Amino acid sequence: MKCINIKKIYLLPLVFIMTAAFSLSSDAFGQSVDQIYKAAGTPATPKVEVHWNRYYDFGGVTEICRKLAEAHPSLATLESIGESYEGREIWLLTITNLDNKPHREKPGFWIDGNIHANEIQGTEIALYTAWYLLENYGKNEFITNLLDEKVFYIAPTINPDGRDNHMYEPNTGSSPRSGTIPLDDTGDGVAAGDPYDDLNDDGHITQMRRRTPLGQYRECPEDPRRMVRVGPGERGEFELLGLEGKDSNLDGRVNSDGIGRYDPNRDWGWNWQPDHIQRGAYHYPFALPENRAVRDFVVAHPNIAGAQTYHNMGGMILRGPGTSEDEQNMTFSDRNVYDALGELGDKLLPGYRYLVLFEDLYSVYGGQIDWFHFGRGIYTFTNELFTRYLYFYEQYEDREEAGKAPYQFDKHLLFEDAFVPWEEYDHPQFGKIEIGGFKKNFGRVHPGFLLETDAHRNMAFTLFHAYHTPQLEIHEVDVKDKGGGLKEITAVIANSRIIPTHSGIDLSRNIERPNYIALEGGEVLAGMRVLNRDLNVIEEQKTDSDVIEIDNIPGMGHVIVRWIVEGGRGYTIEVDSAKGGVVRKDF
Amino acid sequence: MQKFSVCVAVVIIASFFPFSCIYGQSGYTDHNDLSVRLQDLAGEYPELASLETLDQTDGGKEIWLLSIGEGELENRPAIAVVGGISADHPIGTELALLFAEKILKNSEREDVNELLSRSAFYVFPDMNPDARAQFFDPLRYERTGNDYPVESVERDSRLGEDPYTDLNGDGMITLMRIEDPAGDWIPHPEDERVMVRASYEKRETGNYKVLAEGVDKDLYDLFNMHREGMVDFNRNFTFDYPAFTPRAGEHAVSETETRAIADFLFGAKNVFAVVGFGPADNLSEPLAYNERAASGRMVTGILEGDVPVNRLVSNKYNEITGGENGGRISGSEGDFFQWAYFHYGRFSFSTPGWHVPQISSQDERGGEQLSFLRWAEEEDLENVFVPWQQVDHPDYPDRKVEVGGIAPFVMKNPPYRFVEKTAGDHYRFLLELAKMRPVIDITNVKTESLGSDLHRITAEITNTGTFPTVTELGERVRWVQKTVVNFDPENDQELVSGKRIEVLDRIEGKSGYECSWLVRGSGTVNIRAGAESTGFKQIDINL
Repeated sequence: MKCINIKKIYLLPLVFIMTAAFSLSSDAFGQSVDQIYKAAGTPATPKVEVHWNRYYDFGGVTEICRKLAEAHPSLATLESIGESYEGREIWLLTITNLDNKPHREKPGFWIDGNIHANEIQGTEIALYTAWYLLENYGKNEFITNLLDEKVFYIAPTINPDGRDNHMYEPNTGSSPRSGTIPLDDTGDGVAAGDPYDDLNDDGHITQMRRRTPLGQYRECPEDPRRMVRVGPGERGEFELLGLEGKDSNLDGRVNSDGIGRYDPNRDWGWNWQPDHIQRGAYHYPFALPENRAVRDFVVAHPNIAGAQTYHNMGGMILRGPGTSEDEQNMTFSDRNVYDALGELGDKLLPGYRYLVLFEDLYSVYGGQIDWFHFGRGIYTFTNELFTRYLYFYEQYEDREEAGKAPYQFDKHLLFEDAFVPWEEYDHPQFGKIEIGGFKKNFGRVHPGFLLETDAHRNMAFTLFHAYHTPQLEIHEVDVKDKGGGLKEITAVIANSRIIPTHSGIDLSRNIERPNYIALEGGEVLAGMRVLNRDLNVIEEQKTDSDVIEIDNIPGMGHVIVRWIVEGGRGYTIEVDSAKGGVVRKDF
Repeated sequence: MQKFSVCVAVVIIASFFPFSCIYGQSGYTDHNDLSVRLQDLAGEYPELASLETLDQTDGGKEIWLLSIGEGELENRPAIAVVGGISADHPIGTELALLFAEKILKNSEREDVNELLSRSAFYVFPDMNPDARAQFFDPLRYERTGNDYPVESVERDSRLGEDPYTDLNGDGMITLMRIEDPAGDWIPHPEDERVMVRASYEKRETGNYKVLAEGVDKDLYDLFNMHREGMVDFNRNFTFDYPAFTPRAGEHAVSETETRAIADFLFGAKNVFAVVGFGPADNLSEPLAYNERAASGRMVTGILEGDVPVNRLVSNKYNEITGGENGGRISGSEGDFFQWAYFHYGRFSFSTPGWHVPQISSQDERGGEQLSFLRWAEEEDLENVFVPWQQVDHPDYPDRKVEVGGIAPFVMKNPPYRFVEKTAGDHYRFLLELAKMRPVIDITNVKTESLGSDLHRITAEITNTGTFPTVTELGERVRWVQKTVVNFDPENDQELVSGKRIEVLDRIEGKSGYECSWLVRGSGTVNIRAGAESTGFKQIDINL
């Protein structure tokens, strides 16, 4: 007993440092392991402790990624797939059972978050997914099977510059959307000539109001923090002067030219249009280094069969197309796959709705979701995280009620932690004003106590999606002796999941190579696709007949191939599918 | 192994075969010679020219940029002169190179000297050097794809499996015709050297199949679809990008070559016009206005306000060149010419620089080829047609297979003696174009004293050039810098009325925009107006 105490004291400084944010120690934030009673569905004693009720800056994200990879060396590797404009790494975690077969021979699933700088929580949800998979391997059968069969490629933030800028520079909850390349928004030839000014030096860009008898606004009687417009024929006490700032470049407008103001989600190589047609586009597809890193990785990993990107907000599970022009390219079979997945998403994610981007939200040219689907043939969803529904589990039809809800939520559940109270300020251009309003960490991102819940639900949706990437098996092999030394070998290759090896768009544009089904052993005299086994409808492949090329193995479907072989005793069939992985069978 | 031996055979045969020096390609400048000549220019005119390489291609060749002008160039109206846009058109490279040589050799001339000190030229002579190398290769064919090793057009992950094969060993890839009762080609009724499709209406019966010269190594139906060079510079730009078509690339601007020039040009705010020597033509014939194409969110036709500029420039072009250099097309999918206008927002001009004089024919089929052969006879050109000659073809052992046809390149690139004249014309045209550049001046400056130290300043921001300050389309384009007027009073002066910063929409040539300010207090006021593409003008006014 005494001995243990001494050891603990000795280790204390080290433990203290390691647990500053999260730790590898067996102590879970001060409680010892034997004091924990497991809650269903959550790892109780993970190797890596992470709090899921707060946000991490780029350094924190880096640290969590490192710790996960170090703690789970047989399941995770960490690499940088490129550098951001300011030189931060774009981290990528590869998560799978690294010992059973090469990850490139397994169907892959891509997850990223935070493409828009202010939409930070996608990063935590991606990290939660990585953590959950790693900490449950060997403990939960579903997760164990998933990592044996599939590989996850997780890039927690694909806009690390913007992420840190959002957190450490004066911003609203909506800024910046882009990365940090300074661009000229006003056309005066000066880039970023008039950014926000954090007048009261609190790190948040809130509202400016000024008392005036000519005003159109007054304080809401129920909650004086909230400004409401007066009715027709009424005079208020305040005028609103916009977001905190001043006219720094003296062009007659406040905050007219901040950093960035391009949109990294208008920079992708499908149906790309320039800024004057699609506001926010940069010079050409993948001109932004962060997106180029993702593009290079995805092109180099044709095994990626499904993808999830995280944005905020609004509680949406979005699929493409981003524009009406591509509606004709969304095939019936692809729509069915999305519907099967999306409709379960509706159920797993209360307050979220499964929607079509261009129809239900707005039109986007050059969006990431469209490049993944139409450019690479990958089934992809974008989730718009967080919704006002989560305040009180109510949908708001009424604008007034919707306007009140965040104030009520902040007052009764956050105890006014999310609001900067109105305070007087002497403005160089407006004179005596007041500054106040919601902080940048409220409104679009989850309040702490809701983050883990939504992380888990969103993750569950992506795991369902990943589970349904193609799962190929050599279902049946039939060897018939045809006499004269000839054998007829017939193999049935089945896909036991919803997603086909080749999406409809992939087939129509020949994006990915066909599946190769190869027979080794013996001399192949002829090879063929069996289109109907019972009625003997056969299509011969005249060249390279030992490797039968199959355009697609449909979801929940199968294909049949046949060879006429001379000689050989032992045979091997290998199914090599870009998105369906590689499987072999000896017989 | 088989491929290797075929290649060796081709090299050996080609090096002995007279056609390998087919009209000499003598004169045309290969990449090495081009590099030497550019380096020589930069060495000879260090004050006027600087050479840089924007990047290296997958084939390991430099993408050259020669910047021409005296002193700092970035605040001076500039013209980008681009050659090698279509690699089967090496004359484009010659025109760009010869322009650079001529302007520098004439730099002592007064008008040239004036241009070199007030404007700038960015010369990109060879935008697709990997593909252009095929023109100088022992095995010659009209190649436009670079060395990027993308999957073949069938995307079956088997790389470069089916290059051309030189069946008759003449160092060229021409055509192959196979006698076949099911074929739908016939020799042209007016010139039987030329193969055309049989006409159903004329009740002609086809008796040939026509394919590119080669061996279908993997026995697919598509002959020779796989070529070692894969992405065409002139199909890889963002405007009207032909996704998932041969030689278009993985996506728009996917290639080293396209990114290199796009990155440079987006950074070069001073470029007001782009002149390409490539297949498109809006110089012998200006683009026509089409209201429907010019309206809506997705603009696909020249805007009305830009039409007169194109007409003016086209008139000047035809005046100088004699109007004989007409091309055939006004733009193609994913090309550089249309990108420079529709997405880059600058005035964009293009010409092939040379073309075969057209003749009229009773039978419209094969018109260009007929014109070419007629012209080649008049000019006594040799070795431009490979007579049909029977070969043994491994895929058609019992059939009559002949190889022949018009030699590669010759229809788009004349013998070198024709290049000199057209290069001189285009040099003169580019000088005239530079003289038409937009120039911002501050004119008609007036100060009025209104009493009590209150002054009204009026000035006209004038474009004294011929071109408008920006294209009409450029008014919408974020990357096009409009004219900015900065008004800077001294600290103790009060600006009572008027703008400190004003961004002006396009100012037509020879016209102006009036600005006025009210200032209280004496001292010096500074007014600066302009943009990189018009030059800046600055004045001080003492009150």
